[in-house]
Amino acid sequence: MTTSINISKLSKSYKKQQVLTELDWSIQQGDVIGLLGKNGAGKSTLISAILNINPADSGSVSLLGEDNKTLSSQTKAKIGYVPQINDEITWLTVKELILFKKQFYCHWNDSKVEELISRWEIDTHKKMSELSVGQGQRVLIILALAHDPDLMIFDEPAAALDPAGRRDFLKEIVNLAAEENKTIIFSTHITSDLERVANKVAILHQGKICHFDDLDNVKESVVKVSVISDQANNITIPHAINTNQNSQRVNGVVTQVDLQWKKALENQGHQVDITPMSLEDIFLELTA
Amino acid sequence: MIQFNIEASSGIPIYKQVFEQVERMINNAYLVEGTFLPSVRQVANAIDVNPMTISKAYGLLEERGYLTRLRGKGMMVAHQTEERSKKEKMMILDKMITELVSGAMQMGINKQELMTLIAEKVEKQDSADNINSQG
Repeated sequence: MTTSINISKLSKSYKKQQVLTELDWSIQQGDVIGLLGKNGAGKSTLISAILNINPADSGSVSLLGEDNKTLSSQTKAKIGYVPQINDEITWLTVKELILFKKQFYCHWNDSKVEELISRWEIDTHKKMSELSVGQGQRVLIILALAHDPDLMIFDEPAAALDPAGRRDFLKEIVNLAAEENKTIIFSTHITSDLERVANKVAILHQGKICHFDDLDNVKESVVKVSVISDQANNITIPHAINTNQNSQRVNGVVTQVDLQWKKALENQGHQVDITPMSLEDIFLELTA
Repeated sequence: MIQFNIEASSGIPIYKQVFEQVERMINNAYLVEGTFLPSVRQVANAIDVNPMTISKAYGLLEERGYLTRLRGKGMMVAHQTEERSKKEKMMILDKMITELVSGAMQMGINKQELMTLIAEKVEKQDSADNINSQG
């Protein structure tokens, strides 16, 4: 497996507010990653620091094997990025903007551009400034996909899209994911956006990636455990991040189930229940 | 094409949902030996999920002997031996019984009451089956 992105000790602060704190993160080629974080957690800051659009204060980032401060033009051509805020030239029509952008790339997939324009019903004669927010975002997505990049980074890509648009965009990510070796990162605070398409989930919390794992593993390891027992007060659940207990039962959310512990308790005649949690609940627990 | 019923926001990983649905379809002979399953890509597109998720489910089904991979042709339902399917059935039944028992305990039903209830049900089902087979 090749590493697409390697981040080491990345820090960034705005005035007195520390946003990223010696953040380490490594992303393998072929991963489709949902980057989750609360509002203000620093998702956009992290993404723009990865791409060196808004440089970090310290630390290093390598993208497709090159330092992000000295990327070669060949490597730049392999990256696609959709910012959260539409900062494209507003006085060009969609058609003109696409032709303009096309000149910067050696490779441009005209048929994909055509297909997405007709599927998303974009009027290419309209100026960028005349488009709705959702339509504008679709154009940015098309521009980011047009040169068939190997690494794609989307900052809240579905934020301005309606439910049908979100679904369609996610479908496009699914199609891209089907072509192996494409690495995709998209940030969101909406867990349902990533449940169908991401194979990994990263949680940004307090300046660090506090959790990064296969989505399936996260769902299988972060679960609710409850023990029903008349000695509930004396029972401690291992790996629990959050517990509450009374005289008859103890409930907790664990990051990992200790099966030996469970078996031992059951052998002593206590009842141990394990309930899976939705990603949304998991996210809330891990960032509580 | 077979229909999957996926709940993305449930706590059960999607690959597991797909695995369990195929497992059930094979166990109740909805999918019989020799049937080809739709390709990973087809399923991924139909239910809008990451293809890797479907590959994982298919891989696990192959590992457990439900499917056989035919090169260039895809995944086919494998021959299910009698004792193996019996074993699988027992495993599923075990899970259902565990749920039932813990549910009953939570409602405060005692052991004797539960046993009586089950015995009555079995009796009823048995006589109904007898009438059906005679008629």
